[in-house]
Amino acid sequence: MKRAQFSWYRPWHPWIFLIPTLIGLFVFRLGPMIASFFISFTEWDILTDPEWIGLTNYIDLFEDPDFLQILGNTFEFSLVYVVGVMFFGLLLAVLVNSKLKGITFFRSAYFVPVVTSSVAVGLVWNWLLSPNYGLINAVLEAVFKVTPPSWLGDRNIVLIVVAMVQVWKMAGYYMILFLAGLQEIPNMYYEAAKIDGASKFQSFKKITLPLLTPTTFFVFTIAIINSFKSFEIIYTMTQGGPSNATNTLVYSIYLNGFLFYKTGYASAMAYVLLVIVAIITYINFILKKRWVKYQY
Amino acid sequence: MNILKKTIIYILLITVAIVSVFPFLWMVSNSFSTEDNIFKMPPQLIPDKLFKEGMFDNYVTVLRDYNFMKYTLNSIIVATLASLGQIFTCSLAGFAFARMRFRGKNIVFGLLLATMMIPIQVTIIPEFLLMLNLGWLDSFLPLIVPSFLVGTFGTFMYKEFFENIPKDLEDAAAIDGAGPYKMFFKVFFPLSKTQTSTIFIIAYMNNWNDLLRPVLYISSQEKMTLTMALTQFQSQYSARWNYLLTGAVLSILPLLIIYFALQKFVVEGMTHTGIKG
Repeated sequence: MKRAQFSWYRPWHPWIFLIPTLIGLFVFRLGPMIASFFISFTEWDILTDPEWIGLTNYIDLFEDPDFLQILGNTFEFSLVYVVGVMFFGLLLAVLVNSKLKGITFFRSAYFVPVVTSSVAVGLVWNWLLSPNYGLINAVLEAVFKVTPPSWLGDRNIVLIVVAMVQVWKMAGYYMILFLAGLQEIPNMYYEAAKIDGASKFQSFKKITLPLLTPTTFFVFTIAIINSFKSFEIIYTMTQGGPSNATNTLVYSIYLNGFLFYKTGYASAMAYVLLVIVAIITYINFILKKRWVKYQY
Repeated sequence: MNILKKTIIYILLITVAIVSVFPFLWMVSNSFSTEDNIFKMPPQLIPDKLFKEGMFDNYVTVLRDYNFMKYTLNSIIVATLASLGQIFTCSLAGFAFARMRFRGKNIVFGLLLATMMIPIQVTIIPEFLLMLNLGWLDSFLPLIVPSFLVGTFGTFMYKEFFENIPKDLEDAAAIDGAGPYKMFFKVFFPLSKTQTSTIFIIAYMNNWNDLLRPVLYISSQEKMTLTMALTQFQSQYSARWNYLLTGAVLSILPLLIIYFALQKFVVEGMTHTGIKG
């Protein structure tokens, strides 16, 4: 038992300091979460009164082949994004984790896409990837003499292309996170390994990767959550098209809720999204024990 | 490290730098092109108006005729007010969490952390209905008020900082007669300049780049923010790439200036945010 410490504050003081936060928490986070839950059991177009229809929205969702495709798209986007940012993030972090001259310049250059808006990023990539006057196709045709695909028009690849653009935009951010983790690994381990005759690759595999697992876990959790939130890049690059090929859950919530005025239906989708994020985060924390190793 | 190894590493570093920055350079370079020049095949590496008469024609047109001056101003207003609000709300809450003991502290803090992971799309429909009923549609209020009022990352950062300030300072101030408000505004808050700058910049960037809320809440032309205006511009003039690219440059320029001037805060802040759009 801790001895009660003397405090300069009266019991009501903390609540006064917390007034703005509490209003925000209840009005903009918890309240809407609860409201969404109830709206998802109604049929409602905002203009007329809502009608209670029980689980119908959820049943409709899972019987709708479009929704199943949207779910599939969401997971595919998420997979490409998470694998992409983790791979390139770690690669970049290892690359810039040195004391070479000018290394801070390279670090800041790699971070530039992170601070620019998704809208500008989407716009410039739309132009670079455009079939008729885009630079990428021009180079591919002129230099490699190949007929490039229509990057944003081909249903089979467009989702991966958009996800890769998002990976390109965010890789620098994950680099910074991994870099912080790399710099926490004490140098003595590498020195000891060197004396024992370990190669660079061996020390990376046997020292860096295991000791980095707490960071990797943190990065992985964040990457998954962020992967489900990507809305701007889809809005700017493809608007969910061509024919639903890049329509994901977050984009579909926007479409149904605000363009088709299917408020109840969109709320049901929002809850599916919430449950998916919750389940994945939960599984992630359960599996944590199996692969995350702490130094101390 | 021998020369050969060094050379290989530098070649790798430069290649990645080109991949990261080239699209932006290409965009800036072509914002000095005429429309004809942009569509030329093969693509022209040197824009035709660079360092020639009328070099800034695209910029003048976009800023004046397409109202980008107004949109920039709107974005500045929204991002500034929303970020100031974050500072106010988060610093107060961080102080309470760090220095005061009260029942329910862990519950409130836990709720704050847990709701951070929820995608905004889950709460946006009721939020929209709320704004509709308050009569706030087509004003800056729905863009400012929600981020004014609650910020997990900012609260967390202030809490960590205030927790590490020695109790002696608090005791001395209290003995000198400082009540809780004076304690916060005169003693603790002025110490947190670094945290305040970091949180301000991160909040500024997030609000500047936000797209969903402006798209939902703003309907009149003269109230659009820069990012939103750019998407509208794209759907209206999808073929006028010289203007579109100029607009894109204008939309990222203010943030890039902030980033390069205050890099330390930006990178530091983002490492701590964890979650970022």
